[in-house]
Amino acid sequence: MTDDSHEYLVKLDWTHGRVGDLTVDGKPKIQVSAPPEFDGPEGIISPEDLFVAAATSCFMTTFVTFSKKMHIEFKSFSCDGYGTLERVEKGFQFTKLLLKAKVVVESDELIPKAERAMELAGKYCLVSNSMKCPTEHENEVTVG
Amino acid sequence: MSEEPRYFPVNLTWTGGKSGSLSVEGKTTIKSGSPLSEDEASYHTPEDLFVASATICYMNGFLNFLDKMHISTISFKCDAVGTLEKVDRSFEITKIEMKAKVVIESEDIRSKIDRALELAAKYCFVGNSMKCPITHDTEVIVK
Repeated sequence: MTDDSHEYLVKLDWTHGRVGDLTVDGKPKIQVSAPPEFDGPEGIISPEDLFVAAATSCFMTTFVTFSKKMHIEFKSFSCDGYGTLERVEKGFQFTKLLLKAKVVVESDELIPKAERAMELAGKYCLVSNSMKCPTEHENEVTVG
Repeated sequence: MSEEPRYFPVNLTWTGGKSGSLSVEGKTTIKSGSPLSEDEASYHTPEDLFVASATICYMNGFLNFLDKMHISTISFKCDAVGTLEKVDRSFEITKIEMKAKVVIESEDIRSKIDRALELAAKYCFVGNSMKCPITHDTEVIVK
């Protein structure tokens, strides 16, 4: 494996009904299923959740990378991600992702830098860039 | 399910380093992040979640087609590998290779199972929401 290529292996084992166990070596097992609107039980993580989660967490890790490069400290980061699934020609597809991120910084002069780091994170988020749908960002940086 | 769009909200709160807590209302919290140091290595990375979402959607589609065809399976498992590669100046997941193994009760339903696997791949809407090609290597075994 070179720096230019990485592989990610996941294993999925069906257990019952619409439910299975997802395992990634060395990481906690996650119980997964279809969401209730596709005949799955309530309260279990669905592939739709994970699709949105993948983009949301990639945005965060990319933001952390840029904030380190720019030597910016931030106090908190939180992001709400909303995926929209709609019927298109060939069944359903995600047509839009909206990421609403909130970052809290120590002082006013850090605001434009944090905004720039968020902008770059949106641009270089490799998971969003691997999806067909557009990702919209609503970023908010405050002093706290 | 109606024709109306469905929304899937998740919340992510940074917990330090490159890690955060992912939560979907009423469901288990998932720790996620890219490792900065060894003690962070056990969290699910965004890449893991991306590959996982396509894999689970494929399973759900398969189970859905089994129901429609009134057949059942003894077991289903799928290993999937996603490849992240440099594309121009940044990275992208360029392919996902799935290897599914299905165990069935009798030879009679083999062709239906093959068909259900084929339809599941075709109508996997998470997979269809991704730019990269997804390959499916399937194996059906009679117990």
